[in-house]
Amino acid sequence: MPPQLRLNAVAFVSPQNHPILIRTFVQGQDELKYHYIAHTSLDVIDERITAAIASKSTECYLNLLYTMEDVAVYGYMTPLKVKIIIALALTDAVVRDADVLTIFRALHTAYRQSVANPFLRLNAPIDGYNDHAILLAAGSPKWKAFRKRVDDIGKAVGVVAVSA
Amino acid sequence: MSSRNSFQSTANRASSSISTVPSLAAVADPPPRYVDGAAMDYFVIEMVNTLRASSAVATARAKKVEQEMIDAGLMPTPAPAPPALKKEKMRDSMGSNLSLSSLSKAGQDNDEEELRARLEAIGMHVGANMAERLCHDRGLFTDTLDAIKFICKDLWNACWEKQVDNLRTNHRGVYVLQDNAFKPLTRVSGWQGRADSLRKAKVYVAMPAGIIRGALARLGFQAVVVPEVTNLPQCTFQVKLPKGS
Repeated sequence: MPPQLRLNAVAFVSPQNHPILIRTFVQGQDELKYHYIAHTSLDVIDERITAAIASKSTECYLNLLYTMEDVAVYGYMTPLKVKIIIALALTDAVVRDADVLTIFRALHTAYRQSVANPFLRLNAPIDGYNDHAILLAAGSPKWKAFRKRVDDIGKAVGVVAVSA
Repeated sequence: MSSRNSFQSTANRASSSISTVPSLAAVADPPPRYVDGAAMDYFVIEMVNTLRASSAVATARAKKVEQEMIDAGLMPTPAPAPPALKKEKMRDSMGSNLSLSSLSKAGQDNDEEELRARLEAIGMHVGANMAERLCHDRGLFTDTLDAIKFICKDLWNACWEKQVDNLRTNHRGVYVLQDNAFKPLTRVSGWQGRADSLRKAKVYVAMPAGIIRGALARLGFQAVVVPEVTNLPQCTFQVKLPKGS
């Protein structure tokens, strides 16, 4: 029985805790709610990271952060300190860790491929101080490729659950 | 995971409907793409020459505009600038400001500096994105030393097919990476003698220094990387991390 994973929202947060991209896949729901969810997730992630450092673990996948009303929120932190937060609709079916991990890796790949574009910011300063400005540019409304990649992933998740 | 792999990179992007959605597994772990090694070496060598020509054109253009301004009386004739004047580092040739570039005999050095700045900027971008790619499969970094070791092993392996031969640190934020046969320098030779080859080789390590600096920047460490070539093909990179890390 394939799990019925419905991806509600995806959020990317930069190492300096600025939002890069927040994307929702559910019509008829307030998008602002997912902004709040992403914001509160940051605190939980910080807690988990300090706990992980204390216990010397190097796990990127932060597993279930918390659940709220009708969504379960999962977190992932890349080694480059970019945080990915997804909200899955709560279901009674068992959600396998491996599935969620695959979703995170797909999102990480999409992000990585979008940021690698050298034409993202043509007048980028040479010093790396404003590196996060480049990351933010990846999610800005003018840059559609990243959003399209994330949308593709959202569709892929939906399709996986329905078919097979 | 679903075994259906219907990824089609077609021209029908506008009508990307459900039928062309790639499977999740394909997107999560895309197959790595490879570049021919010899072609890559040749490309990097030629890049230095091309950028030298291009930066010469950019400087000439900037000087010409400056000269026009001076002739028109809009700018006072600049006094010979002190040698310690920091040169404006530009990445984009169009964005050249009319800084007081030194008109003294440092014209040659000016060109070298421009070339080096461009190479380092390119290197930074390449390094940052290589670090992203290589970090895809691994866990979080435990501390600074772990990050430096990642650079010495994974990054060096990916870029130059070997690992750093010697890593030294003074435990106060300075690391020295030594490579006894640095790949870009292995083929450098000249007919004018060893000192001359050494001088010419210095420009070829600018991009690798940029790669290291870019990777560290993406990992979150603002570092200063200084390459040193004392005898070919050995090369050392001195990495200075800011206090407190």
